[in-house]
Amino acid sequence: MEIAVIGGGEFVIGFRLAGIRKIFAAENEEQLRAYINQVLEDPNVGILVMDNRDMQRLPVRLQRTLENSIRPTVITIGEEEGGISMRERIKRSVGVDLWK
Amino acid sequence: MAMQDIKPTRSELINIKRKIKLSERGYNILKMKRDGLILEFFGVLDEAKNTRGELQKKYQLAKEMIALSNTIEGTISLKAAAFSVKETPEISVKPKNVMGVVVPEITSKKVRKQLLERGYGLLGTSPVLDETANAYESLVDSVVRSAEIETTMKKLLDEIESTKRRVNALEYRVIPELTEARDFIKMRLDEMEREELFRLKKIKARTAA
Repeated sequence: MEIAVIGGGEFVIGFRLAGIRKIFAAENEEQLRAYINQVLEDPNVGILVMDNRDMQRLPVRLQRTLENSIRPTVITIGEEEGGISMRERIKRSVGVDLWK
Repeated sequence: MAMQDIKPTRSELINIKRKIKLSERGYNILKMKRDGLILEFFGVLDEAKNTRGELQKKYQLAKEMIALSNTIEGTISLKAAAFSVKETPEISVKPKNVMGVVVPEITSKKVRKQLLERGYGLLGTSPVLDETANAYESLVDSVVRSAEIETTMKKLLDEIESTKRRVNALEYRVIPELTEARDFIKMRLDEMEREELFRLKKIKARTAA
């Protein structure tokens, strides 16, 4: 399986340098969403890497879908603090806020 | 279970007693499973926190490096170099079993590459580019690890939640209802016995008179 990267042009170019083929440079939000749907339907993608900022801009519904998706697993990176939804999930499942 | 549905018979009582025993056994097992899952989850949680931090650090570094090579090499030659990288990192996912939860074990191949394997010309590019490629390769490494751990965590959380629901349903709903039904049948049977006794006494009194 492969890794896919979606994001702005600057974000993805470095991953191309690391050899990842499935990079999608999205210019605007519509493209972003189109690429995401394309990747979600691709059975060959095991991990999807996205910029945190792009993730925040997506509709909440799509964010939830991505966060709960296991195949591909979505990893967001960026300056902003990630894992807010993970915190909610932990709270709901375990009953205690264990994140941080 | 509504009280009217219960037939106060001895066979029903035996049935319900059997059901109670079964539910209690299931309840104990599920409770142990829940505790085990939570213990397992604690281990994964620590790891997840560590990898998150590492990922963040590596991303910072990689971003600095790409900005640097953008400045030194120029956007066009950076892109040219990037598109000439041939080897694609591959990941393979193997299922692993943690307390009955199937979690993926992701292994990656060909993420780290030697200088010569990268595919761009060494003469036309500066060492900064190599450093950048290095930084991104190690970032990808972290991403793969982090993906494995986060998927594991999601699956464990789902399983914990459903197990907890089952435990609670058994503890607060199924078992109390069954015990209530059992008590009802017992009372009813006793009552019937007393009625029968009383009736017998009445008949005896009448025949004696």
